[in-house]
Amino acid sequence: MPIKTLEIIRKRLEERPAELQTARQNGQKVVGWVGYNVPEEIIHALGFIPVRIAVGGDDRLVEVGARYASSKTCVFIREIVGAFAENQDPYIQQTDLLAFDATCLQNYRAAEVIEYFFKKDVVVLAVPRNFDWDEAKKYFAHEANEFTRLLEERAGAPLDSARLAESVALYNDIRETLKSIYTFQASRDNVISWEEVYDLIQAGELLDKKEYLSLLQQTLAELKELQPNPVIEADDGDSRLFISGSLIPRGDRKLIGIIKSVGGRIVGDDLWSGILPHLDLDIKEISPAGVALAYLNRTPHAALPYLDLESDRRLKKLHELLSTSKAQGVIYHTLRYCDPFTFKAKETKNVLAKSGIPLLEIHTEYAGSDYEAMKTRVEAFVEMIRIKAEFVEEEALLANA
Amino acid sequence: MSLSRNFFAGVDVGSLAAKAVILEDGKIYATGLVPSGVNSVESGLTALNLALGSAGLKKEDLKYIVGTGYGRVSAPYANKAVTEITCHAKGANYLHPTVRTIIDMGGQDCKAIRIDQDGAVVDFAMNDKCAAGTGRFLEVMAGVFNVKLDDLGAIALSATDTVPMSSTCTVFAESETISLVARGEKPENILNGIHHSIANRIAGLFSRVGIESDVFFSGGVAKNSGMKTAIEQALKVTIVKPEIDPQLIGALGAAVIARNFAKKEGLWV
Amino acid sequence: MGKQLFRYSEANKEKFLESDNITFNDGSVVTPEEIWHYLTVEGPEKYPGTFEINLYQGNRASRDETLPTSLKTHYLGLTFSERMERAKDKGKSIAFIQGGQAVDPYTAADTIALRPFLVGQWYHGREHGNDINKSVLRRKQSKEKAFHDMSFEACQTGGYEHIQSGNLRVDVVAPYTVLRCSDVSYGVEAHRHGPNKEVKLFNVDYPLRYQASKPWAVEYFAQNLRRLVKTLDEVSGRKTTEDDLLKAIKLHNEGRRLGTELAELWWSADIPPTNSDDRLSLVSLANLDMHGDVQASLSVLKEARNIIAERVKNGVKGHAVTDNPKRIFILGSCVGINDSRSEDAGAIVVGKDDQWSHCSSLVEEEGDPFYNLAKATLEYPYEQSIEKRAEWTIEQIKKSRADGVIFIHNWGCNTQAAVARPILDVIKRETGIPTYIQERDLHGLQHEQEQNRVNAFIEML
Repeated sequence: MPIKTLEIIRKRLEERPAELQTARQNGQKVVGWVGYNVPEEIIHALGFIPVRIAVGGDDRLVEVGARYASSKTCVFIREIVGAFAENQDPYIQQTDLLAFDATCLQNYRAAEVIEYFFKKDVVVLAVPRNFDWDEAKKYFAHEANEFTRLLEERAGAPLDSARLAESVALYNDIRETLKSIYTFQASRDNVISWEEVYDLIQAGELLDKKEYLSLLQQTLAELKELQPNPVIEADDGDSRLFISGSLIPRGDRKLIGIIKSVGGRIVGDDLWSGILPHLDLDIKEISPAGVALAYLNRTPHAALPYLDLESDRRLKKLHELLSTSKAQGVIYHTLRYCDPFTFKAKETKNVLAKSGIPLLEIHTEYAGSDYEAMKTRVEAFVEMIRIKAEFVEEEALLANA
Repeated sequence: MSLSRNFFAGVDVGSLAAKAVILEDGKIYATGLVPSGVNSVESGLTALNLALGSAGLKKEDLKYIVGTGYGRVSAPYANKAVTEITCHAKGANYLHPTVRTIIDMGGQDCKAIRIDQDGAVVDFAMNDKCAAGTGRFLEVMAGVFNVKLDDLGAIALSATDTVPMSSTCTVFAESETISLVARGEKPENILNGIHHSIANRIAGLFSRVGIESDVFFSGGVAKNSGMKTAIEQALKVTIVKPEIDPQLIGALGAAVIARNFAKKEGLWV
Repeated sequence: MGKQLFRYSEANKEKFLESDNITFNDGSVVTPEEIWHYLTVEGPEKYPGTFEINLYQGNRASRDETLPTSLKTHYLGLTFSERMERAKDKGKSIAFIQGGQAVDPYTAADTIALRPFLVGQWYHGREHGNDINKSVLRRKQSKEKAFHDMSFEACQTGGYEHIQSGNLRVDVVAPYTVLRCSDVSYGVEAHRHGPNKEVKLFNVDYPLRYQASKPWAVEYFAQNLRRLVKTLDEVSGRKTTEDDLLKAIKLHNEGRRLGTELAELWWSADIPPTNSDDRLSLVSLANLDMHGDVQASLSVLKEARNIIAERVKNGVKGHAVTDNPKRIFILGSCVGINDSRSEDAGAIVVGKDDQWSHCSSLVEEEGDPFYNLAKATLEYPYEQSIEKRAEWTIEQIKKSRADGVIFIHNWGCNTQAAVARPILDVIKRETGIPTYIQERDLHGLQHEQEQNRVNAFIEML
């Protein structure tokens, strides 16, 4: 049975660009943000409308972006640059200023290139690579204050602590509700698919935050009514897959579509464009530094180096999510020239192999030319998991006989 | 033909060739191999008909057909489609049960496959989108030297030196080869360099999936003796001598899987 | 096809023997006689590839044999591998670093700092008797594996293959990360899954975005440098003091001053006093890290500065330089164009931004040496925003009287590739000088397509 609120959300998304235009005519400013560690609450509390810039899946824009940022930049960043060059994206058109972070250096370079070629006003939050050091946290607190100061200048007013507290509370509620909804997609007899939840997460990057929270709560209520006790366990014949690796932004549904077309079922992700940024964000102090540090203390983005394999929180999180979602295999998605993830593909594969979880790396870009090649790989991977599952089943039957 | 006999077929339509294998119970009964045309359905059917014809069988005599290769998605003659990765694994295992690693070099891609004792895929990796290490790449190189594709390997084996190639990209390698020839490098040394360069790339692919003996080399490129030697050197392994044309392994695996499906679905007499 | 080998001519021997000794870190000395013997007897036997005449590899049939420092840098290159082995036998610490950075803190901590190129030189120098083809094949083989172990889109593997699988006795991987290259920190991280569990890992975190004007960024980087020295001390078991760092800064400032003088002397001449290759090998001595021995580099640099001054005074033209060559300034990542083939096409390379950026940045000697070094490092012109970097580059282009600019970057070098166009855009806007972007496909000998384009650019000039 379809979830009615999802239909409302789709409609609200269609109306959103026009709504942003009206808001701007009424004097509000829209901040387009890009980056894993951009503390959105600060932008929100300053009275800006935050909108995540996350275009994807358009090979033509990638080509356009390459003219400015070279063909060696990651596909996602190239498309963003291309989208700024063309200025046809309804959300990019509505941005008054941009907030980038330097978690991924290609992101940072994109900020420089967009600033230079398209004369955009860009505020950048620097991010330390030795992020777990006390000295780095101190440095990052300074950077968060500087980031806020630059935004305050543009807002024409200082950041109000009470408003920041309100924004933090609102965002905390959003994160909690999303987590509850996420459980349903991985459950047996799920009434909502991972794909639907993924779209729902990404809708929140664009919609008004208060309205988004209420729509999430409405969705959750519907889900609870349809499926009072969601239990996460495998269905017979399922190939339960988990997606990891480079982000999959709005507009890019190639891999997700392929997985579905060959009968695989996605039951979880740790994507930057998915559930991961909403997990483990614990704001202990209501201040720019307090909020920013809470972002930095989440599961670190793959662009930040972790020199000790044993204590790597990213891998720990991946294991935890795999276990929660009862996934049988990982599709590790790497975008062309997305170094944070391509560098870790082999290692992640080896680490997961020790737990008996197979990993398939899919390296791709937004062109459709590799569709069949990707399909063959994913299909073979699904076949491999099925054959393995059948074998385990047969073994179990024999043992019980 | 008597309906009491059990015939199964596998049809593998690749980018350069279409292959068919007919299996009767536990043995290979007939095979067919034709170059691929633009129409993959026709190519698959031609290969299948060739095999049927050589065995004196009709399509109706077949209990089950499995399609594989890039043409598998549009193979109306097949009962089921399975990827060539799974099929190569089954095919190699069927012929040589001790095989644990397969290198498959076909017309448009190259695969590193690890399998278990039952022929189930344990892990696999494939080349990136570029044509390095594929039949198409070697075809282009044969064109540059104006020699037959089948002679390429033997020429490379007669080399006295190995000229390093800086690129395995088909387009760049072609222009590089032309400039090497212009510079006076001997064709056999350049070809040796090309073979080593590809073998090196294959070795890299295996660093992702690992190697375990025995090693089997399948696909059209497996017939190239120069490539076989270069791979043996790069991977430091000895490749198992194939009992049949290594280009037929995918189709053979598909036929083995067809037999398994038939058994599962109660079609086995 | 027989391999032709270049041989130093006996006709120049007598003059060479009059030149200076090379003095090493441990106080040992090699005389010109010993160097001559190595270059003419031992070297060609051990490393025939570096003597093989092959224009595509940049090996000419003739070299500047009257430039003694050119022979000495060749000697230091050839003996590099055995010198590193000896240094390790004596218990010296060796750190892997990255290009684009100065090595003052490593020198202070009595640690040899090696860049990717040098790690490769050490590794490949351990095998003798290879011709060019064999050397390249060997290099490609280990690279290919490293690309798969790391990422096949890495612009380079940063010595990973040699440190992880090649049994090189590198004690610590501790480069300045983020500085000019986004792959560095991923490269360091990749070591954590390699087979070599002995090697220690450390990131020197280079902050970004107007870093030099942010006191908190300078302080943070200074703390990174303190931690770096502590880590190097943990490896070597010694205790490096602030005074040690100050001494190292003074020593390196001397190298930087000499290198700058040498470069400016070279630029001041109407006739190029050396060819492109010799110019680069001498100017890049300024960082004192080029041959794994700061004192040896310094002694050759001192001699080179005087020889260049003499050549400029006497109007000597560098070997194989054409009349009125077109002057090219190279920008971009850690690669350059094929000097000899470009010279044959009528050009000369007069500068290169990546090395020049840190070689020409002096460090303040009064006050907290960690803070001073941090500040100077964060001020490297190459690491600034697009406009600021371009502004500095324009100054260098003007000083070197360049006729054209080529921005060359490695395949997969995201950082430099991304800023290539905007930087050239500013240069073109401000100077009107023709510019050109070239991408380098790594690890081969035959860059026919690249050379074809470079030659067309030279013809255009």
